[in-house]
Amino acid sequence: MSSRRSRQSSGSPSIKDDQIIELVSKLRQLVPEIRDRRSDKVSASKVLQETCSYIRNLHREVDDLSERLSQLLATIDADSAEAAIIRSLIMQ
Amino acid sequence: MELLWQNGQVVMQSQTQRSGHKKSKYDAVIPEHTRPPAAQPPPVNQPQNPQLFMQEDEMAAWLQCPLGDDDPFCAELLYTDSRNAQSNNTAANLPPISPPPPRLPIHPPPPAPRRTELPNFLHFSRMTNNNNNKSRYESEAVGPSGSKSVDSRFDASSNNASGGGRGLAATRTMSFGAAASAGKDAVTCETSLTSSTGDSSASGSLSAEQMSIQKPPPPPLPVEDRKRKERVADDAECQSEDVEFESGSGKKQTRGSSSTKRSRAAEVHNLSERRRRDRINEKMRSLQELIPRCNKSDKASMLDEAIEYLKSLQLQVQMMSMGCGMVPMMFPGVQQYMPMGMGMGMGMGMGMGMEMGMGMSRPMMPFPNVLAGSTMPTAPATAHMGPRFPLPPFRMQTMLPNDPSRVQATNQSEHMLNSLGTQNQNQSRVTNFADPYQHYFTPQQMRMQLQQNQAMPQPSSSKPSSSMGPENQESHQ
Repeated sequence: MSSRRSRQSSGSPSIKDDQIIELVSKLRQLVPEIRDRRSDKVSASKVLQETCSYIRNLHREVDDLSERLSQLLATIDADSAEAAIIRSLIMQ
Repeated sequence: MELLWQNGQVVMQSQTQRSGHKKSKYDAVIPEHTRPPAAQPPPVNQPQNPQLFMQEDEMAAWLQCPLGDDDPFCAELLYTDSRNAQSNNTAANLPPISPPPPRLPIHPPPPAPRRTELPNFLHFSRMTNNNNNKSRYESEAVGPSGSKSVDSRFDASSNNASGGGRGLAATRTMSFGAAASAGKDAVTCETSLTSSTGDSSASGSLSAEQMSIQKPPPPPLPVEDRKRKERVADDAECQSEDVEFESGSGKKQTRGSSSTKRSRAAEVHNLSERRRRDRINEKMRSLQELIPRCNKSDKASMLDEAIEYLKSLQLQVQMMSMGCGMVPMMFPGVQQYMPMGMGMGMGMGMGMGMEMGMGMSRPMMPFPNVLAGSTMPTAPATAHMGPRFPLPPFRMQTMLPNDPSRVQATNQSEHMLNSLGTQNQNQSRVTNFADPYQHYFTPQQMRMQLQQNQAMPQPSSSKPSSSMGPENQESHQ
């Protein structure tokens, strides 16, 4: 990390910059959109932006799935194992 | 005493006779007389507009003088010379008709800010020899351009005077309006020169003079046009002034101020850097809002949380989608499905690890390590008994009250399920899979777990999970 002292403007945050760079790369790996792109020139802001949108998408998916699961729950026996499963899933 | 050209003749006039800028003009006219800057009423260092005004004044003065084809031209020459001499005193004076640096025909003495028409007149006088349109533009250009470097202008002015008409093209793009108006004025002045002899008494307002001059002749351009043009000219002036500034700055650069270039490049770089940083900070903030229970202000820790949360979210979605697909299937059917899908899911593995960890204080260490280590760093930490687990802040710490299946595990699998369920508060955990699911994920581990979990201290509600138990046992046995 210390070896990667890039800009003087940042000064002490050089270590943090490295950490951040690592984290950004980790994030990049998680977000499929960026992962599939040419991953060398993706800027931090782009990664963050994609992460935000990805998280929003996931939220939406979770909501949709919860909805579906709850609907399914209504259709099955409330005492069944599936109900339990569904409930657990929904309650996450 | 000043020598003034009036009605085509040089008239000796005292300085006091004319109003502020007028006098200056006259002064400029006469080389021998260099009016002190103080005498000039208008502030010498006015913004570009004033310069134009000055030009106007000068123009007015010139206009008053009989502008014959030759006279004006000569007068201009003289004017320019004298003006240069005078303008030297007034730095702010801009040559009435000075195209950008290349040439400044004349530096009108710093007359009061007047309309830009006067300079046009000056141009116009020259125009007589040249294209009228051109002169208009020139006059415009002269006005605004004069601000930057008067000296340079002065030098050029002498040349410009003669080549005033030629320089028009360069300055054509400058304030058209002003030029146009000026040109028109010039025309009118020309025509009315004779009549305007009396107007030499330069009143403060050029327009008045121009008006008077224009009236007699039938200028196609009405006064309103001129005014309009003035306004336009003013705008153009501003624009041209900007151009002037730019040119001036350019000149500054060309003058060998490499340091300026460097500093400017550094500024640009800093600005872009700052903009980039702002953008990133903004995105970080929005990301922070998305992450539930994120109270970190530090970038690195926030990114850490974001990563974890993202993983858990992915896992949750995966689980739920699987649950959606699975639920319609009865357990028996599920059994066949689960192994396929679950076995590979890292999330599942994680979930398992979670349960292990949380679970209980079972000696299932190996499992948690194996499973938890993959994604849930906090898995081991959640090895607490009880419904609540010290989940990471962003985990969903929701008890699973209705985890009937989790309750009382008459058999270990149930316990597992319960523990998983309670654990499930963590998004990533998704350990709420029914037993069938669970042990399908990691059959071996599940079995081992079940066997190990003899007594799961599950404080969960006592739901008849026995039904699950037998099933589980059956299924995985």
